[in-house]
This record gives sequence, structure tokens and C-alpha cells, in this order.
Amino acid sequence: MKLRLTHILLLSLLISLAGCVTSRVEQLRQSNTGMAADEALVILGRANYSEFETEESFTDCIVSALSRGSNPLNLVSEDDFKDQLYPWFEARTAPTSADDLARLFAQPGVSDQIENTKIRYLAWIDGQTVTTDQGGGITCTISAAGGGCFGMSYWEEDASYEASIWDLKTLSNAGQIVADANGTSYLAGLVIPIPILARPGNAACKALAAQLKIFLLDTPE
Amino acid sequence: MVNSKSGDQVIGARLLAVTLVAACLILSAGCTTNVEVKGSLPTPLVKKLPLNMGVYYPPEFRNFTHREKIFEQGTWTVDMGTQNLEFFRNMFAAMFDQVVEIQDLDIPSGDEVGTGTVSVPENLDGIIIPEIAKYGFLTPKISGLNFFSASIHYRISIYDKTGNLAVNWVVVGYGKSPTSMFGSSEALNDATILAIRDGGARIAIGTFQHPAVLKWLRANNIALD
Repeated sequence: MKLRLTHILLLSLLISLAGCVTSRVEQLRQSNTGMAADEALVILGRANYSEFETEESFTDCIVSALSRGSNPLNLVSEDDFKDQLYPWFEARTAPTSADDLARLFAQPGVSDQIENTKIRYLAWIDGQTVTTDQGGGITCTISAAGGGCFGMSYWEEDASYEASIWDLKTLSNAGQIVADANGTSYLAGLVIPIPILARPGNAACKALAAQLKIFLLDTPE
Repeated sequence: MVNSKSGDQVIGARLLAVTLVAACLILSAGCTTNVEVKGSLPTPLVKKLPLNMGVYYPPEFRNFTHREKIFEQGTWTVDMGTQNLEFFRNMFAAMFDQVVEIQDLDIPSGDEVGTGTVSVPENLDGIIIPEIAKYGFLTPKISGLNFFSASIHYRISIYDKTGNLAVNWVVVGYGKSPTSMFGSSEALNDATILAIRDGGARIAIGTFQHPAVLKWLRANNIALD
């Protein structure tokens, strides 16, 4: 019983030590949306050849959030979609604007493939999480008499992502959703290192996924 | 007592030997990275040209293996053979009405358009030859970036009906993959697969936009929509 109480107290302490995250979501709707029960969505991470590109873990997080909870959406995996429509959605060949969709659909087999997979919407996710500031210091020592970590270090992260939603039925841009989140994480050395983590990437993912679901199902906020 | 001590010594010696062998194995494994390229290489969705083409895959293309020794990073071997060959077979089958694989061909050394001749069978509209002119990769340690990158320089040569070189085109495929928790070989494999896909995408789409190809098609009275 004593052990259980200690565990509960430790868990409560860890939960209370989660860092603070500030997040913001904005939406721009350009047309009405709505999804039939058999229609699907594909989430694509915008890839480029620079050092920064949308992290796969972020698009995985969005997919996971959209396929669970109330009103889960039908999702086609990014890899399957890119394979089925190869070579039209590779980093170098993917359309950069919804205006290119008509030209793309004129290619042999493309519209048939989209129709077979019943994909109604395509959401491009563009952005990344970057460390904007860091400082402090922590030192750990080990000796025959024992050891420990002392000091404090921090790092501030900014997560900024945009989802561009394209309607493959009307071949047009349905709208954009922007999610920003930032937070500071700490690592405090009080004999043992205690992390106090803010997870702005996770906050941005959850905010973006929630808004995307509302946007697509056309449910008023 | 004496027997017991010598027994301990024997056990100690055996433990030392096992440790040394294990250390040698770990060190030698760390010095060589082998990558047998595997991944998803789909067939392209492109317009089929009404041409009966011969395709010759040179032995170096069929069995392409890149070996490189990098300072302080050991020896790297990248074997692209089977995956790359199968991908090109599927791609050319998607691009042309009929494809005949030619088993043996003497390729002229010249690479200037209009020069060199190969023997083209009468029933073929031309012969296409893919080659890997260059393969290269960068590790995060070399580039200072947190991903592996790979590039493949494909040379596409097309000989017309008369056997003259009509098209000589170098296409560069590029791919990158973040450092993986599953090891360097997986990250380099992924980067190489992306480079093959990228090169293939450029060939599948760009072939029918390349000026020399369009000129060759016009000479064959084939119009693109």
C-alpha cells in the first residue's frame, strides 16, 4: 500500500512537471467540405531537398489522431498513395499548387487510380519544429562515494505547421489550417536529472488534427 | 588447491579468449557496412508510346555494386543489382508498347549524338541503354547534416532504327534519409531507394519532354498529344 502511494505521488509529480506550451490554430476556408462514409483522406508531408522538411513523426502523429476518437476518418497511407501514383507525387514532381491538379489528372491512369482508392481530400503538411533558444548547464559526477547531477539547462522549441487541403473532386484548394506552438523544456539536476518537457510538436499535431477533422467534416465550431 | 587454481586460470584464459574474439568481431563488423538495396519501387503511371523498343542492360548495370572506403568510417558496399534492374524493366514496359530485352550488344565508345552505330534488329524502332555513370553518397559525419544522402547519375542512350545515337541524356536521381535508430545501412538503403525513385521519375516523365527524344519521335512520325 505504501509502495502504491509512493508510485501515485511520483506519477503526480511527473505530470505536474510537464512544461508549458502555448499554441494557436488558424483556419482559412475557401470552399465547403464534407466527407461521405466511403471517402478517404491522404496526409502527405511536404518533402524537399533542404535540411529542413516535415518530420515523418509529425505526419504519423496527425494520421494517428485523425484515425481515432469520435468520427475517425478513412485514411490512405502516404507510402501506398505515392506508390499507386508514382511518379507524380515524388519530392521533385509533386504538384505545388492545387492549380496543377487539372494537369495532373489529365495524365493517363491518375484519375482512375484516385477514383479506385476513393480519396476525396489530400492534405499537405508543411513545417517543422526548431530549437529557437537554449542555455544553462548541468554536470554529472560519479565517485566512489556516490554521484549526482547538478545545475539546470533549458531549450525553447517552436513548432510551426500548415496544412493545405485540396479537394480532389473539385480539383481545387479547400483551405488552409495553421498551427503554431512553442514551449520551453528544462532539465534540472537535483542529484538525479529531472526532465520537465514541453512538447510543442505534439501540441501542434493535436491542435492541427482536431481542426482538420472539424474542417473536413464541415462541423461548425 | 593447486588443481583448483589451475582450473580458475583455465576459465580465466577461456573468458579472455572469448572476450577478444567478441571484440574482434564487433570491431570488424563496425569497419564494413553492407547495403543490399531493397524497398518499394513501383511501376510508373505514364503514357505508353507506340514503339517497339529493344532494351540492353549492360552487365555493369545488372550487377551494379558501389564500394568505397571512407576515412575513419570503414568500407561501405552498396549492392543495387536486382532492385534497380527490376525497376527499369517495369518502367520501360510501362513507357513503350513493346519491349524486347537484348542479351548481347557491342556498345560504341563515342557518346556524341549522331555518332556511333549499333546493330538494330529490323522489327525494332530503336534500342535504349540505361547505365549508371556514377553513384555517390554522403554520411552525416561527412556532410555535417543529420541525414544520409545518395545520388545516382543515370546515362540514357537511345539508338534509332539506323543504329545512330539519337539521345544521350544524363539524369541525376537524389535521395536523403534521416539517420535511423536501426543503423547506418538502413538509412543509406532508404536514401538510395529514394534516389532510384527520383531518377526513375525524371526518366519516366522527362523522356517525352527531352528535345532530342522529341526530335527522334518526329523522325519516327510519332506525335505526342
